[in-house]
Amino acid sequence: MNSPATRPGRSVRTVLLAGTIATLLVVLGATAWLSFKGSEEEAQELFDARLATSARVLEAFLARQVEQATITSPIVITLPGPLEAGGHDAPGPLGHYYETKIAFQVWNGNRDLLVRSASAPAAPFAPLTPGFSDQKFEGQPWRVFTLRSGQVWIEVAERDDVRSELAEKLAFAAVVPLIAGTVVLLVLLGLLIGYGLAPLASLAEQIEARQPDAVTPITLARAPAEIAPVLTALNGLLRRVRDALERERRFTADAAHELRTPLAALKVHAQNVARANSPAERQASLDRMLAGLDRTVHLAGQMLAYSRAAAAGEPAHATVQLRPLVAEAVETLQPRIRERALRVDVACEPKNDAIEVRGDPQQLGSLVSNLLDNAVRYAPEGGTIEVALRRAGNEVSLTVTDEGPGIPPELRERVFESYYRMPGSAGSGSGLGLAIVKEVALAHGARLEIGEGPGGKGTRVVVRFRPA
Amino acid sequence: MRILLVEDDDLLAAGIRDTLERALYAVEWVADGPHALAALQTNTFDLLILDLGLPGLDGIEVLKRLRAGGTGAATPVLILSARDAAPARVLGLDAGADDYLIKPFDVDELLARVRVLQRRQRGAAVNIIEHGPLRLDPQSLTVTIEGRPVVLQRREFMLLARLLQSPGQVLSRTQLEEAIYGWDAGVESNTVDVHIHKLRRKLYPEVIRTVRGVGYIADPPPPSLSA
Repeated sequence: MNSPATRPGRSVRTVLLAGTIATLLVVLGATAWLSFKGSEEEAQELFDARLATSARVLEAFLARQVEQATITSPIVITLPGPLEAGGHDAPGPLGHYYETKIAFQVWNGNRDLLVRSASAPAAPFAPLTPGFSDQKFEGQPWRVFTLRSGQVWIEVAERDDVRSELAEKLAFAAVVPLIAGTVVLLVLLGLLIGYGLAPLASLAEQIEARQPDAVTPITLARAPAEIAPVLTALNGLLRRVRDALERERRFTADAAHELRTPLAALKVHAQNVARANSPAERQASLDRMLAGLDRTVHLAGQMLAYSRAAAAGEPAHATVQLRPLVAEAVETLQPRIRERALRVDVACEPKNDAIEVRGDPQQLGSLVSNLLDNAVRYAPEGGTIEVALRRAGNEVSLTVTDEGPGIPPELRERVFESYYRMPGSAGSGSGLGLAIVKEVALAHGARLEIGEGPGGKGTRVVVRFRPA
Repeated sequence: MRILLVEDDDLLAAGIRDTLERALYAVEWVADGPHALAALQTNTFDLLILDLGLPGLDGIEVLKRLRAGGTGAATPVLILSARDAAPARVLGLDAGADDYLIKPFDVDELLARVRVLQRRQRGAAVNIIEHGPLRLDPQSLTVTIEGRPVVLQRREFMLLARLLQSPGQVLSRTQLEEAIYGWDAGVESNTVDVHIHKLRRKLYPEVIRTVRGVGYIADPPPPSLSA
């Protein structure tokens, strides 16, 4: 059998995790960028304000005093030595290393440098125009605020990287919890997916571990709503397989059992032939052996027909004429009908019109021939068998009536069981004829009725076909 | 030796019947349980060969009812069945069967087992029946008198075998008729007497004694004769 291989798709876990990670990365990136931008802007405003304030403080304390002074060389205000070596981030007792990144210059109206901080150059930071400006100095970007107070110009500058460092740190501080949260979220998500998919894994494991003949239903400790329908469908399939297997097993066991008796008979007759004391005895045993062979062949044929009828699913949907099927069955049985001086009356209604049903021609033929065979088998010598085909509206029925001993009401269900033989019907049949009739009728949706003939005599079987 | 055969398959029954009759047993055949019980109640059989898968009344049930008491409750039973599983055999033997044979079986084995049950009834360990100067071999179907073979007709052999099967027991004419004829064969009222007469002539007169108004008896031989 060719099993259609399914191309393995992406795992649910991968899709979920990848999707989540991608979404989180976008969100994180956006958050970091917005946070950085926002912080940078705020820092800019804050620092600018401070820069301006510093300029005003210088103006207040310094500008008025140096305005009129004659200074030949600029006063340089140095920072205490250890400050620079004090590490970058930790504030020392004397100040902070970052003070080196802040510088100022005070100029008079003649563009003479009066005071400057040690970190400031001797040349003007920026052209002496009031307001904020961004300048480049010694390869570093500086933010400069220029203030004019009377004849004095005050320029206060601050290295720009201090500001971006703050903005970066703020943005980073905003993003770090998010990153940590993301990691926790991803781990949790992985665990949840694992938990959610565990029943699926268990299902796969159970199916994988099964022997080919293990057909008990699969049970899961936990069947989520998404898996429950799969499980139900799977167990439904398993049940059907189990039924089919059970039927096969029973059929094989029954067949092996049912063959023992005819084989025993054949063996006894064969040995009787070999042990015969006279030609007459030999001939008698030989005749019986041949009869036994015929019956065994018939039994094998019936077993096959029964197996086919029972295993058949939906029958073929051909249009089958019943009239020729009956004629054929009567023809086949003719030798036995003649031998037992039986009369077979076939009545059709309507008389000259086709009477047809839908189904499998071969199986329906088997149904008709087995019904007739049964009637011939049980009809008394010289008796009459009535076969009636009727169509009323779109309902078609086949009725077979014999004048045999009849079937007691309590056994009327049992005669349709495989290998069931009526008490007193000494082992002539296969015990499968009516079972085949039943299986074929079942497959064709036909109803079977069994009762007695007119006047409570004999047996009457009616097959009512489903309207086509 | 009269055997009741209970088997629902007519062809197998016919074959077994042929086998047993050719081995000089009288065989009655019924095809189902109720008929078997009826036959056992109204007739005496030396052996019951019983199929288990009978329509109507299962063979095991027939066996249980037979063993429950009444006429023929002690009749030896040989089960002949298609049920080959050990539990089925145990069930049959425990229900009172003396032996169990599985279909399909060997005819020689069937006959051998019948002979075993036959000699067990006599309390003997061998098949051959020795009676004074007489030797009856139920396997080769031969009779000798002091080593000399005697040619007997079937009915004569069957009659002698029946009488020697239970020496010292008076058997009625009806019992002897049943032992040599089936139900269907028409029996002339004096055929048993005719066969007895022939047996006495072919063997020796004292072999069978007439008990007036009752029947016949094969007296246990006196020790002097059995030498």
